[in-house]
Amino acid sequence: MITMQKELFRQLFKRAFTNQFPAKHAPKSVNALLEAVGKGKAKLNPPVPVPENFRGKIAYDKNKCIGCQLCVKVCPANAVVFKPKEKKISYHTFRCTFCGECVNVCPVKCLTFTDEFLLADYKKD
Amino acid sequence: MSIKDLNRSLWVFHVNTGSCNGCDIEIVAALTPRYDAERFGVKLVGTPRHADVLLVTGPVTKDMKDKLKRVYDQTPDPKVVMSIGNCGNSGGCFYESYNIDGPIDKVVPVDVYVAGCPPRPEAIIDGVVKAWKKLEDLEAKK
Repeated sequence: MITMQKELFRQLFKRAFTNQFPAKHAPKSVNALLEAVGKGKAKLNPPVPVPENFRGKIAYDKNKCIGCQLCVKVCPANAVVFKPKEKKISYHTFRCTFCGECVNVCPVKCLTFTDEFLLADYKKD
Repeated sequence: MSIKDLNRSLWVFHVNTGSCNGCDIEIVAALTPRYDAERFGVKLVGTPRHADVLLVTGPVTKDMKDKLKRVYDQTPDPKVVMSIGNCGNSGGCFYESYNIDGPIDKVVPVDVYVAGCPPRPEAIIDGVVKAWKKLEDLEAKK
């Protein structure tokens, strides 16, 4: 009985385990909240921090790319498309499986993983 | 019913159209105490007739095409359709396969696409927030 009361008392002062992303409760108006955030009046709670070597959205450095097409060959989802005229690639986020094959195979390291993962959108690119 | 009635407490129904269960697990993870989507009134319901939002995962296999259409028709208007994961967005690693009837937007109209393989629970919550924003914008236009 005393053990339980101790535990209950401890839990009273503990922080909740819930990560309150993006806000504690549903706002009255999402547009008003986003506007306030834009002006710096309100703050959104950040998501849970990503682990090391997280496989987020892939960043492409066009200037580094030598157009070797290795990434086109290894991509299991055909998310990387070669543009023969420019000898560069275009990368489709909405087709990618985030497997990391292209990042590993790239000889000049022009493809890298970023920590960005909030990728919801109204239309696909 | 008008769009205004949809503004609060979106109840979601989850349809798996041939997904590998990765996205399904992340949807359930978004409802666990760690992320707790239920504090926004988001609730997983057992039938499309009670739902406001359809969460569709998977690349729509041939078998699931007419079932997905039926589930879509059973959901009362107004409704939001969210495509979770890159299988549903474009086919993912099943892109242009002979066994699928195209990505979800070939079968039913999709409002919000959530990219990821699978998307993190925060990404799904972000998608729900974007759906909310879209509803508010639609309401403001009226």
